[in-house]
Amino acid sequence: MEVLKRNYYWWNKWTGYSLLILLLVATPLFTIFIKLFDSPGGSWSHIANNLLFGYFQNTILLLLGVAFFTFLLGVSTAWLVSNYEFPGRKYFEWLLILPLGFPGYIMAYTYVGILDYTGPLQVFLRNTFDINFRGSVIDIMNLPGAIFILSITLFPYVFLISRSSFVGQSKTLQEASFLLGTNRLKTFFKVALPMARPAIVAGIALASMEVLNDYGTVKYFGVNTFTTGIFRAWFSLGDSSTAIYLAAILMVFVFVILYLESIQRGQRQYSSVHGVQRPTARLHPTLWKKLFYSGACLFIFLLSFLFPFLQLIHWVSMTYSKVVNKDFFLLIYRSFGLAAISGIIIVFFSVVLLYALRLSPFKWVKNITKIATLGYAIPGAVIAVGVMIPFIGLDKWIYGTLISSKTAGLFFSGTLFALVFAYIVRFMAVGYNPVEAGFQKIGIHVNEASRLLGTRSTKTLWKIDLPLIKTSLVSGIILVFVDILKELPLTLILRPFNYQTLATKAFDMATNEMIAESANAALIIILTGIIPIIFLNRLLK
Amino acid sequence: MSILSLKQVNKKYSQEQEFAIKDVSFEVEEGEILALVGESGSGKTTLLRLIAGLEHPDSGLISLSGQIIVEGKKSVPAHERQVGMVFQDYALFPHLTILENVKFGLKKSHAEKKAKETLKLVGLKEDYNKYPHQLSGGQQQRVALARAIAPNPKILLMDEPFSNLDALLKDQVREEIRQIIKKTGITAIFVTHDTKDALSTADRIAILHKGYLQQIDIPKILYENPVNPYVANFFGKRNEITAIPSEEGYYTSFGFITDPEAKNHTGKIKLLFRPEHGEVVQRDGQQLTGKIVKISYFGSHQMVKLADDEGTRVTIRTNPGRSFEGMERACFYLWKYDVEEAF
Repeated sequence: MEVLKRNYYWWNKWTGYSLLILLLVATPLFTIFIKLFDSPGGSWSHIANNLLFGYFQNTILLLLGVAFFTFLLGVSTAWLVSNYEFPGRKYFEWLLILPLGFPGYIMAYTYVGILDYTGPLQVFLRNTFDINFRGSVIDIMNLPGAIFILSITLFPYVFLISRSSFVGQSKTLQEASFLLGTNRLKTFFKVALPMARPAIVAGIALASMEVLNDYGTVKYFGVNTFTTGIFRAWFSLGDSSTAIYLAAILMVFVFVILYLESIQRGQRQYSSVHGVQRPTARLHPTLWKKLFYSGACLFIFLLSFLFPFLQLIHWVSMTYSKVVNKDFFLLIYRSFGLAAISGIIIVFFSVVLLYALRLSPFKWVKNITKIATLGYAIPGAVIAVGVMIPFIGLDKWIYGTLISSKTAGLFFSGTLFALVFAYIVRFMAVGYNPVEAGFQKIGIHVNEASRLLGTRSTKTLWKIDLPLIKTSLVSGIILVFVDILKELPLTLILRPFNYQTLATKAFDMATNEMIAESANAALIIILTGIIPIIFLNRLLK
Repeated sequence: MSILSLKQVNKKYSQEQEFAIKDVSFEVEEGEILALVGESGSGKTTLLRLIAGLEHPDSGLISLSGQIIVEGKKSVPAHERQVGMVFQDYALFPHLTILENVKFGLKKSHAEKKAKETLKLVGLKEDYNKYPHQLSGGQQQRVALARAIAPNPKILLMDEPFSNLDALLKDQVREEIRQIIKKTGITAIFVTHDTKDALSTADRIAILHKGYLQQIDIPKILYENPVNPYVANFFGKRNEITAIPSEEGYYTSFGFITDPEAKNHTGKIKLLFRPEHGEVVQRDGQQLTGKIVKISYFGSHQMVKLADDEGTRVTIRTNPGRSFEGMERACFYLWKYDVEEAF
């Protein structure tokens, strides 16, 4: 008998490529982790004695405050929109998601501008009621202000996920509750809310991650958190070891949140609602209630999106002739280019990781690929620091060993390469998830059928799998594109000298009291952010 | 000459401690149609996928056309095995036309001609440039079949080919598929949970239960000489009553059966018989009666359930015209039964 012996089936080139990608992506995270056991730098004692407690306190208060308000705003609006009919309900379904397109830092200084002496609110009050304020109407440049800003930009996460959950809940369960004599309000608290709890907590966890990631808002408002501490240690104190140590502590916060979220979820896998929704019978409340519900949603929408948006447009109309010039277009070109390239690379890596998973049915492959997506939970500043360390080390080695030049040089660090690398680590999940959903949708059988017809795995990917997941690939690129455009802390740390993106430029100008001018860059960020939001809404429906 | 040979094939699912397939060995002859029959979870689909190369066993040997394709942890990848497979959901490529689907596994030189020939063979003539979603389920299945057999694979595998069809269509499709397969002379294995599919389409049937191969044989032998109660019950109900042998026959709780063979047995025994091995009439040599518990009408026959005083029940088949009106008890007669030692 002829014996056809071939390679061991549990190892193939796809598993190999995946491991390579994973090694790449996991390095920064791993670096930070081990640095936790290293000794922190010289300024550590100063920070530990004077500032550390403040960092802890502010961070925890921010987290609690935002968790509370996003819960309030997100769950109430989600409940209204999924259960009642009132004027404008259909529009609020997606209008209330729009605030996600507003990065925190832009919302922050926009509101400062709105409430300022020359802002529309005071002008209106002065001209109509002759009320005068010294300075701003309310001073929001503090911790409560930061909580307010972050809550109104992040509540859509809770809104989206809760809405999905409420819509997916069986109406019969609630009806059973009514028949047993519980009124609507009690039913909400005793039936609907507990059932949606895992989803709500997942939404709040997501919002909390974003709070930990935020730099622009807290810096602008003068709230000292771990992230501002990292920046200060890195830039002002020049103490990278301390910055790393702070980053590591911040990571612990992240893992605590992730851990809490997973234990309350239990064995359940959170998954969004799939398939066709049976039309839910919405209730028709009385006229006054209808108006109240509409009014509430409208109020939230105005506060969280429309007013700031209109303010930005107003500023743009005032300053565009000054700002929009050749340099501005260069700025757009650079930002878009950076985001697009990173998006394409991320989707490419995601395809490789997911295809390896598709071909190897082993559990450990799945766990390994999940590590690649961890970066999304880690704050940008932490990743920036985590990318810098090996790169600086690599540079030292290159210049020390390979080139042996007396002058210090930067081969990797401080280049676009480092920036793109960090984007990949941070935003891998954003490309990974749509591609994963795409592969799941087409199923494994078409791939298997192709292979059984004699086509090897690589050719099958090209001829069968990829054409069938085209829309997922495009979604992935678009979603990554938008997220990178908005990104601030990571870009601030890793950008090459004098290299600006739309986000850094907007932030720079705002911090230099050129708030109105910064609106031009800000508006572009927000407009590009809105497109996928409307698109995302259709996906989740 | 056996086309496919499996020896001591084992597969465990990593999470559970249980085996999906345990110590399975059998051979398939050239040109025969084998049915793999079993309940959900019996391992039948896993076995099919192991032969296809879509999954790999933990140990064992698989040979195809004289070449070893799996030995322990080493295996020939799926795309080199020349195995044709029709999936339960057909897995047609939605972005390619019917013709392109069938041409997919063929070499460019004769692809067009062979593809059209095969489509004609399965009964599809004009739909070449249509896309899969434009065809009915039955037509899609034919395309899947054409696509699988066009490259002249060494063996054809089919996963639950009749499960998606309604009862009326099933008979017709079973017959057509058997004819197509026999026409091409290809060896085929199909997986099903429905014994009727197996009985009407296959040459031999293999019964799987909890990963073990129970019995593999032609239908007649499986039916008349099952190796264990599981196989016996697979093809239909089998009645079981205890009896005490004497010189002339057997004493049962339903009455006495005259049988000269009875003197060869001592101690309690079991009488095993199928519903169609009896009749609900009184005949010489047996005095069996029971209380009528239930009569089920099936159009072509009736099933009468009779009980003894202790509650043991037997089901006897009878013709549809027999009336039991006003009767509380009925006599029955067994013209065939197996005898087994009772423990």
